[in-house]
Amino acid sequence: MNLETVELTKSFGGVTAVDHATVRFVDGKVNGLIGPNGSGKTTFFNCVTGMIKPDSGSVAYRGKDITKHASDRVARAGIGRSFQLCRVFPRMTVMENLLVAVRHPSVRTLLRSADDEHERERARHWLRRVGIDHLEHAEARNLSYGQQKLLELAGVLMGDPDTIMLDEPAGGVNPALIGRIATLVRELNEEGKTFIIVEHNMEMVMSLCDHVVVFDRGRPIAEGEPSMIQQDPRVLEAYLGV
Amino acid sequence: MSGPLFLQSLILGVLLGGLYALLAAGLTLYFGIMRVVMIAHSAFLILAAYLAWWFNRETGLDPMLSLVVTVPVFFLAGFAMQRLLVSRLKPLTLTMMSVLLTFAIALIIEGALGFIFTGTQRRIQLPYAGDSLDVFGAQVPVVKLVAFVLAAFALLSLYLLLKYTRFGRALRATIQHPEAARLVGIDTDRTAGYGFGLGLATAAIGGTALSLDATIYPSLHWHWIGPLMAIIVVGGLGSIPGAAIAAMLLGISQSLLQIPLGATWAQTVFYVALFATLMFRPQGFFGGRLAQRF
Amino acid sequence: MRNDSERTASAGRTASADLGPALTETVVVAPDAPRRRRRWSRAVSLALLVVGAALVLSFPFIAPNPYILSAGVVILNYAVLSTGWNFMGGFTGYISLGHAAYFGLGAYGTGLIVKYLELPGFVAWVLAALVVVAISVPVGIAALRVRGASFVIVSIAFVLILLLVFQSWREFTGGSEGLIVPRPFPDLLRPEHHRAFFYLFAGLLAAALVAWWVIDRSKFGTALKSIREDEDKARSLGVPTTRYKLIAYVLSALVTGLGGGLYALWFGDLDPIFQFSILIGSYMVLMALLGGVRHLFGPLLGALIVGIALEYFKLEFGDTQFHLVAAGLLLGVVVLFMPDGVIPAVGQLIDRFRPQQTSIRDVSAAELLEQNRRSDASATGAADAREASGEASTRDASDVSDASDPKEVTR
Repeated sequence: MNLETVELTKSFGGVTAVDHATVRFVDGKVNGLIGPNGSGKTTFFNCVTGMIKPDSGSVAYRGKDITKHASDRVARAGIGRSFQLCRVFPRMTVMENLLVAVRHPSVRTLLRSADDEHERERARHWLRRVGIDHLEHAEARNLSYGQQKLLELAGVLMGDPDTIMLDEPAGGVNPALIGRIATLVRELNEEGKTFIIVEHNMEMVMSLCDHVVVFDRGRPIAEGEPSMIQQDPRVLEAYLGV
Repeated sequence: MSGPLFLQSLILGVLLGGLYALLAAGLTLYFGIMRVVMIAHSAFLILAAYLAWWFNRETGLDPMLSLVVTVPVFFLAGFAMQRLLVSRLKPLTLTMMSVLLTFAIALIIEGALGFIFTGTQRRIQLPYAGDSLDVFGAQVPVVKLVAFVLAAFALLSLYLLLKYTRFGRALRATIQHPEAARLVGIDTDRTAGYGFGLGLATAAIGGTALSLDATIYPSLHWHWIGPLMAIIVVGGLGSIPGAAIAAMLLGISQSLLQIPLGATWAQTVFYVALFATLMFRPQGFFGGRLAQRF
Repeated sequence: MRNDSERTASAGRTASADLGPALTETVVVAPDAPRRRRRWSRAVSLALLVVGAALVLSFPFIAPNPYILSAGVVILNYAVLSTGWNFMGGFTGYISLGHAAYFGLGAYGTGLIVKYLELPGFVAWVLAALVVVAISVPVGIAALRVRGASFVIVSIAFVLILLLVFQSWREFTGGSEGLIVPRPFPDLLRPEHHRAFFYLFAGLLAAALVAWWVIDRSKFGTALKSIREDEDKARSLGVPTTRYKLIAYVLSALVTGLGGGLYALWFGDLDPIFQFSILIGSYMVLMALLGGVRHLFGPLLGALIVGIALEYFKLEFGDTQFHLVAAGLLLGVVVLFMPDGVIPAVGQLIDRFRPQQTSIRDVSAAELLEQNRRSDASATGAADAREASGEASTRDASDVSDASDPKEVTR
């Protein structure tokens, strides 16, 4: 088992965003997390990655309890994530954006020059993979939204995560770019990365994911292969409110 | 500590707490509306006190009459400050830059007061300055009581205004959810300007109340801004009831601690409370949950 | 299965080959432009560095009288303090208005150690710096639990507390009567004393600048800057923000404290009102901001401008409070019109006279980030509201269409 939550709960004021969610994500697969608007997917993401503290329940990653870990520790444990509306460091260059990620902090990392050629080469590798290597010296705020999305992904990959959580990778980008992100996810998955993807674009979810979990009102209501999910009456009910 | 002395300190604490509450409410208002920490709030307080003193010196009338002029003028000044200066700042860096901007305004006010009125300490001589009431053996100066009534009246008016008027609803909507407020047709920019004006109006009233009983000098505002900032953090940034409760509690504590510790050390209670809040409950003790984010 | 993966892989490759150039069309940032500019600016800064260092080193001999020389010492002291402030303010964006606290602690620490332990001045100076570090750690831990405005409030509160304590604790600190610190070089005459301290301050400034420069280039520096840009995002990339911020804060306090200690040895007379004044703290911020917090020499340049201006105002208007008005006006102008400081403003001015090579869309991108933050902060309702609000959604739409090349969509 890779990533597992047990009875995870988080409420804001009177609204329970995540409600006793017990979910397991399979190692080595592309996992999809879908559900109607406001079903608690992003809050679930934030709880898992330590961005917000859950009220109760637990999160375990590869057998270790990470419920109380702050988000930087979660990241260093090997879980990278992107944000719903992508977040980059606007007034740093593309290259600097990539050099932020830290997997093993130590005194040596602290003092090592950011100009370290090995790190730069690694950064260029990921920039090439996502296809924005020609923008290395541009300031991130001058990039288009699509380019920023790719930059964010490259930045996450620089941290060398084993599990990558993407919050709506296809949101607000053009169809061609969606195809390219999907291809990249598939390639990286082949190379051994596990993915957990929140996405509204059903076409993408159905073609990309091996395993899909459906959220409704803060808890999973169905899971399985995409084809099975599509026919599940509970899922239809959740989406259409039948 | 003897009974009457304790009672007297308690009463003085409540009276002081009332003034703190009014001023902290003003600070909370700015912060709630625009995430602006208004460092110049207490500078405007001292400015109002100087105007009341000057009014009294020139006309010989009761300094409270100066409110007729200072309150509307301060309201307009607040409106202008929000519309012309604060709204020019980029939203991304608004909080930090507004701190510096209002800090600059505080320096300008302090410098201008020193330039015009010199650094000499000033005090209003009121005919009833020496009078005091006897409450179960405790001596309560009348001026402090008058100042408290003025502050309490202003705070109550502010509360009623926010709670029951159309404008109050618009202001609260702007504070809670600017986007949604805009959607239902509220001119949030103008409302924010009015909110700023209201905040400065509280400083005008507070300053006049202060002038009745205090010795004033240009750099006095630094002694006020620290405690006021501590109050709004302890109260939970953005919560007016939280600020009022924290103001009362800390005002009373300060007053009670003055007996064993002396006036200067008693002031540290604000900072102790501030650091305790940060260590144990950064979101504040009463409501507000914005402290950590902003 | 293998075939399949090969197919997708090759498809990916062709896709990127197809898309690469198409995506570049939106932003015409020629990669050469910044590199060329960097080389150019590096040459200029090297030249400026040599000239500046030569000027500084020869200043004590050029200075016509001891008064000008002492003004030079004051300005160097400001430069040290402001550069020290910039270890925190510049890298992480946490603006401390109360850094005078560490200036005062360094000064009083040195003075008190000399007085009570009867150690030589410079030993006391080093010990006082250690005391400053020891105090800044717990204070930093408490203060850095909050961000933005709350942090500013805490920093102001801290300096106000110290002012209270040092004024009230008369038996130990001398209170408002002040504290006399014996001179470390009793044999020197006044001008020689100034000259010696001029070089000491210059040495301290050089050390601080080198340290700042090393951090600026290090991975640690990159991490600190990412905190300035977006702290939550930095954390999500594994940056141990709490620890890094604390290190920056303590370093900043250390440099400021060293500046304070040296001041105590130079000036020889301490008063809480001056050592722990918010005004000194605000000068540090003003200088750094005016020069440019993202630049190594920003605070130094700011100290030069503000320091000279302050001396001028004191000469011209004497003891009136007019210098406060001037400082306030200057700070207001900087905040409103050039929050990035003089150095970038001048850079932009120079750029205006060159051929335009870059397409700048910074406003929309920056605004988008702001929206991200807001929507992350508030509930999902905010997103819906924003979608519905006309103005914001058109901005979104324009961004998206900007990202996608029209050709790409139709193909």
